[in-house]
Amino acid sequence: MTKARHLLDLDDATRADLERLVARALDHKRGVADAGQLLHGRMILGMFFEASTRTALSFAVAATRLGAHWLDFSAGSSSLAKGESVEDTMRTVRAIGVDAIVVRHAESGFPYEFARHFDGSVINAGDGRHAHPTQGLLDAMTLVEEFKTLDGRHLVIAGDVAHSRVARSSARAAWLLGAKVTLCGPPLLLPADDPGWGFASLATDLDSVLPTADALMLLRIQKERGDGTELPPFADLSASFGLDERRMAALAPHAIVMHPGPVNRGVEIASQLVSHERRRIERQVENGVFARMAVLESCLTEIR
Amino acid sequence: MSSREDRDFVGARVVDPTQGLDAIRTIVVRNGVIAAVRDDAASSSDQTVERIDCAGMILSPGFIDPHVHLREPGDEHKETLASGLAAAAAGGFTAVAAMPNTNPPCDDADAVQRLRAAAALAGSVRCYPVGAVTLGLEGRAIAGLREMAAAGAVAFSDDGSTTSSLKALYHAARLVADLPQPFLSHCDDPSFAGALMHEGAVADMLGVPGDPSLAEAAIAARDLLVAQATGKTWHLCHVSAQETLEVLRWARSRGIKATGEATPHHLQCSEECLRGFSARMRVHPPLRTEQDVDALRDAVRDGTITVFASDHAPHTVEDKELPFAHAAVGFSGLETAVAATFDALGSVSLNTMIENFSTNVAALLGVPGGTLKVGSPADITGLYLDRPWTVDSSAFRSKGRVTPFEGRTFAVRPALTVVAGVVVS
Repeated sequence: MTKARHLLDLDDATRADLERLVARALDHKRGVADAGQLLHGRMILGMFFEASTRTALSFAVAATRLGAHWLDFSAGSSSLAKGESVEDTMRTVRAIGVDAIVVRHAESGFPYEFARHFDGSVINAGDGRHAHPTQGLLDAMTLVEEFKTLDGRHLVIAGDVAHSRVARSSARAAWLLGAKVTLCGPPLLLPADDPGWGFASLATDLDSVLPTADALMLLRIQKERGDGTELPPFADLSASFGLDERRMAALAPHAIVMHPGPVNRGVEIASQLVSHERRRIERQVENGVFARMAVLESCLTEIR
Repeated sequence: MSSREDRDFVGARVVDPTQGLDAIRTIVVRNGVIAAVRDDAASSSDQTVERIDCAGMILSPGFIDPHVHLREPGDEHKETLASGLAAAAAGGFTAVAAMPNTNPPCDDADAVQRLRAAAALAGSVRCYPVGAVTLGLEGRAIAGLREMAAAGAVAFSDDGSTTSSLKALYHAARLVADLPQPFLSHCDDPSFAGALMHEGAVADMLGVPGDPSLAEAAIAARDLLVAQATGKTWHLCHVSAQETLEVLRWARSRGIKATGEATPHHLQCSEECLRGFSARMRVHPPLRTEQDVDALRDAVRDGTITVFASDHAPHTVEDKELPFAHAAVGFSGLETAVAATFDALGSVSLNTMIENFSTNVAALLGVPGGTLKVGSPADITGLYLDRPWTVDSSAFRSKGRVTPFEGRTFAVRPALTVVAGVVVS
């Protein structure tokens, strides 16, 4: 995906791609001269078909800091909702002068359909269970900030892996940068094949992998997904794969705790631990803006 | 005096498994019936009869596709009887069995009669109705199977959906236990209705809900146990998973009257085709793994699979080119089925290929044809075995233009389709 105009997932990304984007994100965090001129006057349209607070806001701030205009699109009242084809909607949006679309949708693969028909740039802000590539990038950035290099480091991702687009993208980003990744959950909520997704170790016992973790990423339990035949009740997961005092104490002294948010308090993380010193949850949110600046800059300089 | 249905087909290699025949012969057709299969190519008893030069062709008993969706009534924008039967003729088929999931569905005797009458007007290829097992294909109340059989239904199926009620299926089978019409099972556990592709490594990558092989094999086992309990002849449609083949082998070893069919897309394509959210490659049952493709090919070689079917499921391009979860499932298959199936099964004998396309299908459905014996209807399929051509869906007779084989080059090409002595393609 080196210098591609779309960012749909990280499946075809290389280590060099990730290193370049993380380095640029860190540049933006330190401050780039005249950053506000980089995308001056460009039009970026956010199309959030699924509710989002932090991601939509983060993209909006990133676009604004680069000098671009952020346009918010009301998906519910759109022509798409009226039955207009994706192809026609994409032509219209481009003709009006939009350079990039940032899209979130509850269905896996939906941004691919936009990319097939849109002449500008399509950036995936999360699609179903499939991918959340800017989250993967901001998590990689947070890990690099913490550990400099990820070679030899161990990232454990715990919880409802199967339904998590964050897990798919963050695991791949960390692995591309050299980390060992372990996916931890009950067999039902792990990839069927080992290694998972072609690269990740699988574990069903969180306590056995905690001591070797440099970073523990807890996933939000997607209670809004499925019909009850795909997920156990909250409590069942919380006991086996949630973070409590005992598990916090089992982590290595230098290990950090991450969560893509929003946290189900008392489910993935015990309430009293949400503000623990190991947490990097706000750091992740903060880094999200810079990661998205790097992505917008990279994709948008590939189109007129 | 020669009639419209009198014709001599001269110079072809005639292959008829029912007579152990594989030789250069002349097929003599009189009044739409095979009058003789002779080796005196040069002479004809009647010089006024039209002679069709078939040199270089294979002529075999007419191919019968036991599984097509012709969309009429209800979805004529996707296909009509006329366009679907023209596609069948072009694809080398002399007869097709039309699945009942039209709108309204074919679930009573009137619908069966209407379909037969409309098909006879719309095209020259024979069209046999398949009646629904349950009213409205809803999986609950049993349809009027006996009156549909009397009206000409050749088989019963809730194809497109699995009959969800075991009780309804069991009672339906008992209702017609004395009749020859088989049941055709589309095997997919209804609780996996939200699945979008095979549950496997690719679905895991894409984050898409998957349909496990188990969902097919478990229903196959259930339905073949119904066959055992009722003594009915049972046929598994479009088998896609190796687990289902194991179930079928088990049933046959137990003496259950069970057969299975394979489609060209399941013999050719795997879940890998779905990478990148290729919505147009979605089909039910889903394309499974490379191992399943190999197992299906092996099952043809070892005789577990004895029937080929296209599962012709035409849709408009607009219906297929939608976001992944919304795209219509299925392919336009009639015009590529013969070529793609031969291509997948290079080491299978010509005799077996013809049995699976013709003789075994006629036997399954209890319909005429499947043989070139004297006195049989003159339904004949002609093929070139090595005349490479490239699939171009824009040239299809079918209204359905979405195929997994676009741009593929195949060696086998349908050359001639003859129904009751009349050349229809």
